[in-house]
Amino acid sequence: MKPFQYRKPLSLAEALEALEEENTRILAGGSDLLVEMREGKSHPERIVDVKAIPELACFSIGEDGIIIGGRVTLRQIAESALLQKRCPLLVDAARTVATPQVRNRATLVGNLCTASPAADMAPPLFVLGGVVVVASKEGEQNIPIQSFFTGPKKNCLQPGQLVLRLEIPLLSPGRGVFLKKARVRGHDLATINLAGWVNPRDGAMRVCIGACGPTPVLLAGGDELFRGASGREKLIDGLATLAQAQIAPIDDLRASAAYRRGLVAVFLRRMTRVLFPEEGGWPSA
Amino acid sequence: MLDETPHYTISVEVNGITYTEKVPAQMTLLQFLRQKLYLTGAKEGCGVGECGACTVLLDGRAVDACLVLAVEADEASVRTVEGEGRDGELTLLQRAFIEHGAVQCGFCTSGILLSAQGLLESNPHPDREEIIEAISGNLCRCTGYVQILEAIEAVARNGEELG
Repeated sequence: MKPFQYRKPLSLAEALEALEEENTRILAGGSDLLVEMREGKSHPERIVDVKAIPELACFSIGEDGIIIGGRVTLRQIAESALLQKRCPLLVDAARTVATPQVRNRATLVGNLCTASPAADMAPPLFVLGGVVVVASKEGEQNIPIQSFFTGPKKNCLQPGQLVLRLEIPLLSPGRGVFLKKARVRGHDLATINLAGWVNPRDGAMRVCIGACGPTPVLLAGGDELFRGASGREKLIDGLATLAQAQIAPIDDLRASAAYRRGLVAVFLRRMTRVLFPEEGGWPSA
Repeated sequence: MLDETPHYTISVEVNGITYTEKVPAQMTLLQFLRQKLYLTGAKEGCGVGECGACTVLLDGRAVDACLVLAVEADEASVRTVEGEGRDGELTLLQRAFIEHGAVQCGFCTSGILLSAQGLLESNPHPDREEIIEAISGNLCRCTGYVQILEAIEAVARNGEELG
């Protein structure tokens, strides 16, 4: 690693001041940034450690939604009994990320900021309608998670901006499922990952597929398909058609594009069977 | 490029002793332990948080010391394998590793001991799945893991007297 200046601001104002400087990177858990630096892919001249900023420590799971601050680690999420009860989808995803050692440091917000197309925390937050709350000297800004991801390992943050927290608005009663395929558990990024969420009462269905495009793909048309579906097999077929038209997987070291397309079909079937354990009760049956 | 390497003074408790040292910004906690304090039990395997050979307990939690900056450990408490046995007495885990043949080349051993110790201190009676999960960030290329799991399970059965 090349030398750099290290700062650990104790207040948000001080941090935002420090982030105005050129060639500055934000350090939270360090499990992505330090690897990048050690591999020579990034050479920041200044590092701002955000772990002492009080505003980033919030972690609340209430009636009106879920708030996860920028300092909250994946271990905190994986071990939250309340979150397990209110939003098991997030807990399931957090438990699959990397290793216990990494989860003890890595943060959910950091996972999003790295913006890997394979980020495991992204599909659940896409289907749950997560909002990224960003601070800068100009004030706060709410960014829907879909707009936050702009390309492979690219997010929409501008220099001088810092993510304060992730918010998930009031959860209507629904159920979700997270699925992930990795070559070696804990030691590789996802070959693909997928989150599905359904609220039968409102006729809402959302599916997000990761590692099958430059950013996670939130399937368009899920609600209409669900409302019109007359049975589980019909829904699986319809979702497969939607997905294959919207994903754009590539060949890389983890899998070929064709293998990913095959996996997506398998995962959609598996997801649908978990979300709808019974055959009956279809909106238009 | 910076003209000079910035240095920072940190105060960190390692195995019960507080050290105050000046470190360069880019020094990792692992380099600090090995090169400044000569505590070479934690190893550098991959250097990118995959193998777990550098596992230490940072404020009681298992972390990869290769992915923590020494400056980040300021005011923190660190435990390495050197501090686990005291006054010539091995810990229960260390004795169990010997009895079950859980050590072969030894490169991964100090990291796995700390991962297991961290688990048993927060969950004294883990089941096999929980043990597998807790050491899933530690690679061993010799044992095939079975003896390691057996050693940790043996201690988990008598979790209260963990020393």
